[in-house]
Amino acid sequence: MPGMPVVPGSRTTRSWLTAAVLVLCAALTGCSGSAETSGSSGKVVLRYTWWGNPDRAARTEQAIELFEKEHPDIEVQTSFSGYDSYKQKLATQAAGGDAPDVMQLDYRMIEQYASGGVLYDLGRQKSVLRTDEIDAGLLATGAVDGKQYAVPQGRGTEAVVYDAKTWRATGVPLPSGDWTWSEWADTMRTLAQKTGRPAATDPGQSEDAFEVWLRGQGKSLYTEDGKLGFTADDLTRWWTFTDELRREGTVSPAEQTTQLDGTVENTPLGRGKAIADINWDAPASGFVPLVGEGVTLAPMPSGEDGTPGQYFKPSMFMGVSADSGHPEEGALLIDFMLNDPGAAKILGATRSIPVNETLREETAGSLTDFDRTIHDFQTTLEGELNDPPQAPPSGDSALQTTFQRDYDQVSYERMSPREAAENYITEAKAELRS
Amino acid sequence: MTTTQIPTAVRPKGVAPAHKPPRRRREGAAWVFLSPWVLGACVLTLLPMAVSLYLSFTDYDLFNPPSWVGLRNYTQMFTEDPRYWRSVVATLTYVAIAVPLQLGLALVVALALKGMKRGKGFYRSAFYAPSLLGASMSIALVWRAIFNDGGTVDNLFGTGGWVNKPGWALLAVALLTVWQFGAPMVIFLAGLQQIPGELYEAAEVDGAGRWRQFLSITVPMLSPVIFFNLVLQTIQAFQVFTPAFAVSAGKGGPADSTLFYTLYLYDRGFVASHMGYASAMAWVLLIVIGAVTALLFRTSRSWVFYASDTDGGAR
Repeated sequence: MPGMPVVPGSRTTRSWLTAAVLVLCAALTGCSGSAETSGSSGKVVLRYTWWGNPDRAARTEQAIELFEKEHPDIEVQTSFSGYDSYKQKLATQAAGGDAPDVMQLDYRMIEQYASGGVLYDLGRQKSVLRTDEIDAGLLATGAVDGKQYAVPQGRGTEAVVYDAKTWRATGVPLPSGDWTWSEWADTMRTLAQKTGRPAATDPGQSEDAFEVWLRGQGKSLYTEDGKLGFTADDLTRWWTFTDELRREGTVSPAEQTTQLDGTVENTPLGRGKAIADINWDAPASGFVPLVGEGVTLAPMPSGEDGTPGQYFKPSMFMGVSADSGHPEEGALLIDFMLNDPGAAKILGATRSIPVNETLREETAGSLTDFDRTIHDFQTTLEGELNDPPQAPPSGDSALQTTFQRDYDQVSYERMSPREAAENYITEAKAELRS
Repeated sequence: MTTTQIPTAVRPKGVAPAHKPPRRRREGAAWVFLSPWVLGACVLTLLPMAVSLYLSFTDYDLFNPPSWVGLRNYTQMFTEDPRYWRSVVATLTYVAIAVPLQLGLALVVALALKGMKRGKGFYRSAFYAPSLLGASMSIALVWRAIFNDGGTVDNLFGTGGWVNKPGWALLAVALLTVWQFGAPMVIFLAGLQQIPGELYEAAEVDGAGRWRQFLSITVPMLSPVIFFNLVLQTIQAFQVFTPAFAVSAGKGGPADSTLFYTLYLYDRGFVASHMGYASAMAWVLLIVIGAVTALLFRTSRSWVFYASDTDGGAR
C-alpha cells in the first residue's frame, strides 16, 4: 500500500525472523514425527485394531487385560470402529506405512494386503504362534502364495434368518432343513399371501446370496485366477428370478431394499416389515433385541439338484504389520487370542465359534442364547458343505457395492435384468483388470 | 538483544527514511513475513495438487506403487463408465435446482428483512442459524430421518420416504442446501443497505410502483452482489458432498439418483481404492468449475452493473 512505512531490511531483524521461520519449520516437522514404539517404562507397545460393536470391544478389552497380566513387558494399545470406517482407515494407514502392529482383517482384504507388502509372514513365528489346533483347510485361507500372512479367528456362514413367532402365527409350516431356491420362493410366496405383505428381503441386491445361488449350480463367483466365474446370462437369470418375486410382492419393494446398508437395523425383518432375511449367522444376533427371542436360523436354499451353495467363510483374520518392530510380540498376541483358554472364556462367540478345536469343544457347553443358536446351526451344517472358494480378488470389495447399485436399477425398473447384468459384467471386468 | 536502528514504524510521522531501501531487500522482508503462509500453501496445497496431477495418470490402489497408465483414466471416464455420466447428470441437475432456489429465497428474505422496523436483528440471526449448522454431518442425518419412510414428511403428508425414491431424493438434498440460505442472505442484506435511498425517493416521485422500483433500481444496484453470490454458490454446489453422502447413506442412491460428482469421486478413491481414477476425476472437476466460473464472468459483462462505472461511463 502506498504511504505505508516499510520495514528496512536490518540485519539483526532479519536474523531474528530467519530464526523464527526455522523454529516454525522445526515445529512443523516435529508434528509428523513417528509414533513411539516403546513406552516410557521400557515396555514393548503394540497397537491392535479391529472392527466390531461395543460388546465385542468390551470383551476384547477384558481379554487384553489378561494378556497384559500374563506378559507384563508388553503394553497393548487398542482401538476399534465399525467395519466401513475401519476398512478405510486401515487402508490409509497401510498406504502411509503406518499400519497397526496387529490388525483384524477380512477375507476380502488378505489378497490385497499380502500382495501389497503390508503383512508379515507369520510362518516365521511358528515357535510362538501355534496353529496345529486349527483345521488345515481353514488355516490355508489366510495364506497367499504359500505364506501364512494371517490367521482366521472364526468362520461364518450365511443363513435364512426368520422370526419363528410371526411365522408360526401364519399357519405355514416352519422350514424343515434342506430346501431348494424354488421351494424357498414358494414358501415366501405363501407367507406373503397369508400376511398380505412381502415376506423376505429381496436377495437380488446381495452378492453373497448370488454367490450361494451360483455355487448351487456348480459355478463360482471368481475363477482360480481371479476372473469372473459367471456370465451375463447367469446374472440375468438370477435377477429375473428375484425381480419376478419383487413384482408379485413376495420380497421387499425397491424403497425398502435400497435402504440395506449391512446393518440388521435397516433390513425389512429388523424394521418389522418382513418375516425373513438372508444374513450371516454371527451378526444375526443383532435381530434378537429388535425382533424378539423367536429369531432362528435355517440353512440357505440349495441348487435344484440339492447342491449346497453356502459355505463356511473364514472371517476376522489377525495379521501383523510387515513394518512392525515387534513381530514376535504381535504373534504372541495372536496366539493368545486364538489359543488361550482364559481368552476363549472371555471372548465367547463374539468373533464366532473358536477356531481352536479343543477350545471349541470346551466352550460349546457354556454358550448361551443366540451364541448357542449359531453353534447348533453350524453343527448341523458340519460336513454337509463344499469347500470355501479361495480369497476373492482385491476388486471384489468394491464390486459388492456395485452389485447392489446395479440391482437398484432393476428394482426401480430403470433397467431390465439383462441390461443391468451386462452393465455389471462390464464394470466388474474393468474393476478386476485394474 | 540490542538494536541500534530505530524501526521505521516508530519514527515520527512525516519523517522520511534517509534512503529508500533497495527493492530486492524490501521484497526479502515481505517473503520472510509471508513464509508461514507460503510454506503452508506449498506443503499443504500445491504439493498435494502436483501429486494428485501425477496420480491421475497412474493406476494407484494405495498398496502397490503407482503405475503409469497415461490417459487411460481419462478415456475410461469419458468413454467406458456409465456411472460417471450419471454422476455428471445428477450434479448438473442439483446445481440447476439448488442454486437458483437458494439465491431466490435469500433475496426474498433479505428484502423482507430490509423493510422491517423492529426485530430485524432477531430474524436475521434466526434465518442465518441453519447455515451455521449446515456443513455438519448431524444435520444431514436429521434430514435423512425427516425424509425417510416413517419420517416426519411421510407422516404429515403420506408421501412415503423421499430419500428412497429416485427423483425425489435429489430434491430432498437440494432442499437441505436451500434451507441454508443464510450466508447469501446476509450478503444481500448488506448490499441492499448500500443502495442510496434517494434513488427510491426519486423513483416514487416519478410514479414508479414497487415492482418497477425492484426491477429498475434494486436489481441493477444489487447486481454485483448477486453476481458474487452466484459465483460462490455455484462453485460450492458443484462440490457438494456432506448432505448427499448422509442423506443417501453414503451410496448416492437410490438408483444413483443422488450420485453427485464428489460422491462418486470419493467412492472411486476410498471405497474402490482407485486413487488414480479419483485424482483424474478431481482434475476434471477443477477444470469444469474453472470453465463455469469463467463463463459466469464473461456473461457478467452484460448484466452486472458497477456503480463506480457511472463515473467513467460504460465499460
